[in-house]
Amino acid sequence: MKSWRLTLAIARRELRSGLAGFRIFLACLALGVAAIAAIGSFSRAVEEGLRADARLILGGDLELRVAQRGASDEQKKYLESLGQLAEIIELRTMAHRPTGSAADPSLIQLKAVDGDYPLFGGLVLQPAISPSEALSQRDGIYGAAVEDLVLRRLNAKLGDRLTIGDAEFEIRAVIMREPDRGLNVFAIGPRVMIALDAVPATGLLQPGSLMSYNYMLALKPGGDYRAVEREIRQRYPDAGWRIRGIDQAGGSLRLWVDRLGSYLGLIGLAALLVGGVGVGNAIDSFLVERRRTIAALKCLGASGALVWRIYIAQLGLLSLLGVAIGLAIGAALPFVAAPLLAGILPVDARVDLYVKPLALAGLFGLLIALLFALWPLARARAEPAATLMRGDAVETRSRLRLVDYLAVGAVASIAVAAVVLSAAQRSVALWFVVGAIGTFIAFPLLARLVMAIAARIAHPRHPTLRLALANLHRPGAATVTVMLSLGLGLTMLVATALIESNLRTQVQQRIPVDAPALFFVDIQPGQMAEFDRIVAAAGGTGLERAPSLRGRITRIAGKPVNEVDIDPDARWAIDSDRGLTYAATPPAGSRVVEGQWWPEDYRGAPLVSFDANLAKSFGVKVGDTITVNLLGRDIEAHIANLRVIDWTSLALNFTFVFAPGTLEKAPQTWLATVKARGDAEEAVYRAVTSKFPNITVIRVKDALDAVSSMLANIGLAARLVAAISILAGLLVLGGAMAATQRRRVHDTVVMKVLGASRRRILETFVLEFAALGLVTAATACALGSLGAWLVVTKIMNMVWSFPISVALLTALGATAITLALGLMGAVGALRQRPLAILRNE
Amino acid sequence: MIRLRDVYLELSSAAGPVNILRGVDLQVDAGETVAMVGPSGAGKSSLMMVVGGLERATKGGVEVAGRNLAKLDEDGLATFRRDNVGIVFQGFHLIPTMTALENVALTLEFAGADNAFERAAEALRHVGLDHRLKHYPAQLSGGEQQRVAVARAFVGKPKLLLADEPTGNLDGATGRAIMDLLFSLVSNSGATLLLITHDEALAHRCRRVVHIADGRIASDNLLAA
Repeated sequence: MKSWRLTLAIARRELRSGLAGFRIFLACLALGVAAIAAIGSFSRAVEEGLRADARLILGGDLELRVAQRGASDEQKKYLESLGQLAEIIELRTMAHRPTGSAADPSLIQLKAVDGDYPLFGGLVLQPAISPSEALSQRDGIYGAAVEDLVLRRLNAKLGDRLTIGDAEFEIRAVIMREPDRGLNVFAIGPRVMIALDAVPATGLLQPGSLMSYNYMLALKPGGDYRAVEREIRQRYPDAGWRIRGIDQAGGSLRLWVDRLGSYLGLIGLAALLVGGVGVGNAIDSFLVERRRTIAALKCLGASGALVWRIYIAQLGLLSLLGVAIGLAIGAALPFVAAPLLAGILPVDARVDLYVKPLALAGLFGLLIALLFALWPLARARAEPAATLMRGDAVETRSRLRLVDYLAVGAVASIAVAAVVLSAAQRSVALWFVVGAIGTFIAFPLLARLVMAIAARIAHPRHPTLRLALANLHRPGAATVTVMLSLGLGLTMLVATALIESNLRTQVQQRIPVDAPALFFVDIQPGQMAEFDRIVAAAGGTGLERAPSLRGRITRIAGKPVNEVDIDPDARWAIDSDRGLTYAATPPAGSRVVEGQWWPEDYRGAPLVSFDANLAKSFGVKVGDTITVNLLGRDIEAHIANLRVIDWTSLALNFTFVFAPGTLEKAPQTWLATVKARGDAEEAVYRAVTSKFPNITVIRVKDALDAVSSMLANIGLAARLVAAISILAGLLVLGGAMAATQRRRVHDTVVMKVLGASRRRILETFVLEFAALGLVTAATACALGSLGAWLVVTKIMNMVWSFPISVALLTALGATAITLALGLMGAVGALRQRPLAILRNE
Repeated sequence: MIRLRDVYLELSSAAGPVNILRGVDLQVDAGETVAMVGPSGAGKSSLMMVVGGLERATKGGVEVAGRNLAKLDEDGLATFRRDNVGIVFQGFHLIPTMTALENVALTLEFAGADNAFERAAEALRHVGLDHRLKHYPAQLSGGEQQRVAVARAFVGKPKLLLADEPTGNLDGATGRAIMDLLFSLVSNSGATLLLITHDEALAHRCRRVVHIADGRIASDNLLAA
């Protein structure tokens, strides 16, 4: 206790010199902590928004969803006895302008709602009329509420008419907000809302059409949705309903926010790590400046432990200050960002001061500060007073004790555990940690390699070049600091840019030359012959088609799906209906990797060919059974073989392909793909949409554009956070340059005294920093590419491509930054008057 | 070698302009050894900086080694120093991140000499440091560092050697050894020496003693040989 009182007293006296030397320390720590705190707080705000508006977002206390067929009258009657019921039909279809309009028909997501919709309000229309005013029949015509995009695509305005299927509608309102729309990441059609009563007139309710019936239930006061859910399941075990309670509202959005927040949080953590280098540098310079003080303390009888405590106390206080600044900024940022992002997010973020994300960011900040402080502190303690009196030109090597290594290892382990345990996807966090440690080891090692090479290169005759090379490897050279501080952020930037670029390339350029241009959905069996004829007449080629049914996986290897331990990355497959087909021969674009394909004339017990990747995630193999509920009937099929499916071929393909003999009699529609280029694409599109109002047409390029724009948004977010790493790197670099500026000024003045011209001195600096920037960029490109390659090929299982422009831009950027910072220092040094410097020595 | 006519030097400071030199007239012939003595702050070092082209006179004529320094720009002055002047400082002013050999070779490298490192090694051998070529300044004693500085000042065979209290940071014996070395090199090379010192005995090893006080030459005495 007494010793700590002494420690704090001395530490307080030491801190009288002010915080001037700690600006970079504080800035680095605050920046990283702020990034993590802001990302964490905002993710939490979105989650809280989801929770608070769960009923609005789900559209009820319970949602029952089933494909292709509505609930029976008896079922509806039962559901109505539980509370208020709203019925909705959703399907993807085409909207047309009445004959004579120039606009092409447009793909839409149709939502037909009954008079009870929405159960909890929240639907905002413009003009502000009620849903029934907007949708009900008036003067013999039903109304429609549409998203603004529909008006633009169809070149229509309020009051105009549009045709869906066989029915005409009057556009009466624009949908400004639809709380239960959910996250439509891949939505390629805007929303059109009509009355449920109007659906029969459209003629779209054909057997096998890809529509879903949703039943929203608002329970009576005091009703427990979990108990009601159990009751429904017990009463109708085979109904095939997917039932969600308010705890699952916005499920996919929650997953996205969770994962995106976690991913961005890791990039934010990288910024903090980069800042850690600055923290370490600042502590190093601080302790170097304090060498005489430490020596004096030791001469006066202070133990190494006391010295250690004095400085850890000071650094602890300063770290708390840096973390507090970061937390204040990080907590404030979501308040600023929320109004700006309000239009993009489908939910009102509930911004508040959330303790958990702030505590986590603070913990990371303190751990990183401690991690980077331990080493210099241990060195300072280990160095004898006599050594501390020496100049700083020669590195003094002192033996660190085992306990120092153990302490660094322990803090690093706690930090790793905190990162991994707090992540939404622990495997990704673990890979991040491995990558970060690898980068942290690689950059200093490579920097030392560069120094060794520079030292060994035969002395060039040109003195400027020789001096520049020598500056790279001299004692106290900036090589390690520059490479580490700028390199980490650059590596992160290169990796994120390359991953995004690969995803985009995958979407935009890897589409096979002979990929179909148009997808046709919901072709009725009776329309096939006419469809074929029209497509051929309009110039469409390569027509391929397959029967299409929808079913839900209910059992895997005999066990109900909710009892099976399924990889979270594969849960999408059981969370909604899956497309099914049947075929006598293997579909194009897939390869049987296990088991045997059935004979073409097979007519035996149900067999299924299954996606090999999903089989792995489900833990099933050839011979196991999968049960699919199709229109309320469970079909148990044995897995005959597993296929690897190349979805990028864009050929018609299905996770499930049944053997002939099982599904032929079920209600079904057909899917078709057509190849058509240039004018033929438009001709086929128009011919089919004008002849068959019920057939939905999807342009491949529209779908790809939707995916690309979503990737661009995610990429932008990732790049912004990676830019924070670069900013942290610049701070570190700026700090490192400032720390060596006195020496640089002295060297410059001495060189001037010895007859060096300003040009020569500048040339030396340019060469030195250009070389440093290039080496750093090359290393960052190599490491970032390695990381991106691992992610793209091993995690995403995609074909790797390397856009040289990313590498070149990084190299140029890094060189420019290093040069600019280096030259700023050099020009400052050249401006110094020799008299002042030489006299003060 | 040196011709100063009515030289003034005014420097700005936080408290306003300070007149460092106030009308200095001085002529030094080639091969002369001149000691400059006087109290601290009298303007000795500033006068030396003006002679070495490290500071520009505010007023007056400065001609060194036949060159009018007022007419040279900063790079011209750098070349002038490289070709004509060697300087030894009290604080050594070696570049701490360069070895002894690199420090000495620097002037020759700037002059584009082919055999800079051989000549630098030779110069270091001459001052008795051939076993310290690869050492950094911090690995050398004060006397050794000053010997490196002397080798650096002489390696380019300068016509003029400026020495600003070269023994000020050294103990008596080491200081004497350095001065013996310095005078022997001056005498062998025939260079002109301008030596600032507080040490009367040292000053009397020169042929001429100039006393500076308050920015002016107070006395200028030729000593008996």
